[in-house]
Amino acid sequence: MAIQDFRVIMVLALGVSTGLLLQLLGCVLFDNWWPMLVGIMYVLVPMPYLFFGSTGGDGYAIYGSSIQSGWVDAGKFLTGFSAVGSIAIPAILAHAKVITIGALIMELAAALVLGATVLTYDYFNSKDSGFF
Amino acid sequence: MCNLRAEYYINPQVIQWWEERGKMWGPILSGALFGAGWWFWVDAVCINQHKIPFDQYLPGLIATLALIMINCIRRDDLVEIDPFDDASFCRSRLWLFVSYIVSFASIVAAVWVMLAHYAHNADLSPADKWPGAAGIFQVTFILGSGLLFFVSRTPTDTGGYSSF
Repeated sequence: MAIQDFRVIMVLALGVSTGLLLQLLGCVLFDNWWPMLVGIMYVLVPMPYLFFGSTGGDGYAIYGSSIQSGWVDAGKFLTGFSAVGSIAIPAILAHAKVITIGALIMELAAALVLGATVLTYDYFNSKDSGFF
Repeated sequence: MCNLRAEYYINPQVIQWWEERGKMWGPILSGALFGAGWWFWVDAVCINQHKIPFDQYLPGLIATLALIMINCIRRDDLVEIDPFDDASFCRSRLWLFVSYIVSFASIVAAVWVMLAHYAHNADLSPADKWPGAAGIFQVTFILGSGLLFFVSRTPTDTGGYSSF
């Protein structure tokens, strides 16, 4: 089962669309569009990966070639930061009573689904390049 | 000095896991901790009805400065002494020492802010005392993030073959 396998791509697409659906429902069902701020974080999360590369991006990243791996680490740092941001923004909004607890739970579920999708993508990507 | 080797104190399987997998996840976790730290502070600033004065932002800013300082160090300078250049060894250790001092200063400042402005302030309800506790969480998470990033980032200038 490789990343090119259509079943894996289908599961990934399903995960992304379910996550985004939960995110939208969290706004629509509660008639409160504040949680859409999380969209900023969802846009930011893949960017370090795209710009700096990761375990699957360039095969030398694991082996510690010096210049490249410094940027890879910085990219991972930013990815972690924006991933926490996608959980923190709904929590702060709920704490400030701008959104209800139900909306918070739905937003957290969306973050969970999208996070699981990213982990699945990363797992299948690294499985490919690990078979040298 | 050889008594301080990690293999004497930590289960070898843990060390092996760390060498193989932990270093890949370390930077992501440290980014998450850094984010958690600052978002705690943002929460405290948003919830509070009164404006929080700027000097209470300082512990977090100093902790962030400590994070940057500790991660500027090139780790291989600390690992072994280059016999032709004593100065780089001393320089790295001195910078590490100064960054530790800065990080301790941020912890002290956060505790001071919490005690002076919030814990001993009789005319605040318990809910209003959240910024004090949030400051402590913020500083702890940011410093933890800095430490984790320091131990888990890949060393520079090793020539690239150290993991074989």
